[in-house]
Amino acid sequence: MKYLIVGASSGLGKELAYVIAAKCINLILISRDERDLKAIKSDLEYRYKISVEYYAIDVSSTDQTSNLLNLQLGAINDIDGILFPIGMMLPNDKITNSIVESNKLIQANMGSVIYFISKFLPIFLKKNKGTIVGFGSVSQMMGREENAIYAASKRGLASIFESLSINTLFTNIKVQFYTIGYLDTNLSYGKKIFLPKGTVQELAKIVFKNLNKNFTNIYYPYWWFFIGQIFKIIPFLILKKVYGITLNNKE
Amino acid sequence: MLEKYKISSFDNFCKKEIFIKNIEKYNQLENEISNSNNLITMGSNYSYVAAGFKEKQLSININKFNRILFFNKEKKTITVEAGIKIFDLLNFTLQHQLWIPQIPGYPFITIGGAVAANIHGKSCGFHGTIRNSIESITIFNKNQGWLDLSCEKNKDIFDLTIGGLGLTGTIVIVTFNLSDFFGTDFITSITKTVSVYETIKILENSKKYNNLIYSWNEINSNAKSFGQGLVFDSKINITKNKIFNHLKVKERKKKIFFLNFWNKITIKFSNLSFFYYTKYLKKNKYIDQFEDVIFPFYGKEIYFELFGKKGFIESQVLISYLKINDFIDEFKKRVDIYKPDITIFSLKNISGEKKYLRFEDNKICLTFDMPNNKKNIIFLKEIYKLYIKYRALPSVIKDSFLDRETFEKCYEQADIFREDLRKFDPKRSYKSELSERLFI
Repeated sequence: MKYLIVGASSGLGKELAYVIAAKCINLILISRDERDLKAIKSDLEYRYKISVEYYAIDVSSTDQTSNLLNLQLGAINDIDGILFPIGMMLPNDKITNSIVESNKLIQANMGSVIYFISKFLPIFLKKNKGTIVGFGSVSQMMGREENAIYAASKRGLASIFESLSINTLFTNIKVQFYTIGYLDTNLSYGKKIFLPKGTVQELAKIVFKNLNKNFTNIYYPYWWFFIGQIFKIIPFLILKKVYGITLNNKE
Repeated sequence: MLEKYKISSFDNFCKKEIFIKNIEKYNQLENEISNSNNLITMGSNYSYVAAGFKEKQLSININKFNRILFFNKEKKTITVEAGIKIFDLLNFTLQHQLWIPQIPGYPFITIGGAVAANIHGKSCGFHGTIRNSIESITIFNKNQGWLDLSCEKNKDIFDLTIGGLGLTGTIVIVTFNLSDFFGTDFITSITKTVSVYETIKILENSKKYNNLIYSWNEINSNAKSFGQGLVFDSKINITKNKIFNHLKVKERKKKIFFLNFWNKITIKFSNLSFFYYTKYLKKNKYIDQFEDVIFPFYGKEIYFELFGKKGFIESQVLISYLKINDFIDEFKKRVDIYKPDITIFSLKNISGEKKYLRFEDNKICLTFDMPNNKKNIIFLKEIYKLYIKYRALPSVIKDSFLDRETFEKCYEQADIFREDLRKFDPKRSYKSELSERLFI
């Protein structure tokens, strides 16, 4: 067996690599820094005696992503599943971002995932087998002032996975999408959060356990499910008013 | 974003508010270190003293740099990232019947911390300190960038880094020369001794053996003979065909009792219980589990927790074989006068070459613990005078109370270390509470 992990050098991606490797499943890892990938590769190979390939690319670059998919991964058709634990954030991500910044965020958080799916979905459909796992964020529940493009990309990604789920109806392809609340990773490190953070270790175990199950969306930590339902029920006009009051109080 | 943490040294003496940055990627490591003013690297923070932090300063936590980068079974070498913990390293190497014999007493200590402290194990009379197993080190220094260190490359910085308390930069990668370990457990034999003097004689006669030898002595001011005790001698139970099982160790959260439990009565009771249990109920020779020999305090953390909020004092010192009996005479006199509450008193051999701040020499190593209170501190200050008189070498990484004067007088090369460190890093970017206390 072989799984491909996009965004494997830290946080959830790295943890998933270890959980999957522990079950003696071979891996292809994709991330930005070759030094991190090289270290993870050697560690996984020595500890679990599996085979690990890696590709160091910046998925926020369309050129690098398409090059990888067309050239280096062009001949690969023996992958059993793909996981996309990627999340790119920029410190001042607002609606007024420069075009370059916004494109980077959209490409890293959503565009690259679409590229990978467009490459591997036909292979999975042909085999009538495969698993595709995406990871959204609770920030996608509502538009926002900060992390605006990140949240928009994640909401777009959720829509892509809904489409994927519909496209794979009546097949053996498993499509899973996790909406993730705050985790104890570097992305949320130091942030004051009113709800407890989940752990990447626990989430990675849940994701692995669910790899053969078919569902559309699961929230982690679970309490975000209830918050998500509230956001779905309440009209945006009211949410906007509440957000405005909160902002005023802050100022 | 930086998060503020309240943190304390393992002996619970030094409590400070600091900033911690958990590092997971190489470019993050470079960026964080390059963009901060003063900093220090933190491993698991099991150091008895505050070696991995300084008040309101950034501590770089490298726990997630814990990977095996290269392993060659034939050449018996392994390259690991410095955040790997001792038990994790052993779990891998012991599968291949290899190890490093210089293992600190607790499984969750990181390799980076062990190198920065130049730790010694229980067979240090024969194997010396961890320095003897190190082939090379890679550090990242805020001002100098990446540096490869070994006996062939940057030897001067290599020497400054081993036992250099993390002051030359962040230790990121370490390559070890491994030793054979054909077995899965140990055979331990126990010898009863009537006094510290008899214990010393036994230890002196065992200098050339590669066994793990240390003593436990009961220190009681009213006893007829000073320091009746037990000498534990553990040798590898050689079984070439047995495969090593993973060490089943689990890190637990540090709990601290509000009050100190250790006093004359409880110490006497627990010492006598231990002594008579070992004397009458334990065999003189028995099979000892790997974890019990190598990590004697694992599972017995309550011993430290019972010192309460004020914590404990540990002093570890190297004394020449020629002077040890005279030293013990004077130590006993001070015990009789000041009546300290000594909970543990232990001796072992150590070998090595004294240089810079390294805790090594061809001497006998004496360790004792006491609760942190006024009476015991007064006793400790008196013992410091003996350290100076007997040209002993107190460990800087065990004792939060060690003052600058004692340090300067006992460490003849302290100034050379300072000078060489400043030559390498004129800005002295790496600082800890420990380095500030000793004016390094």
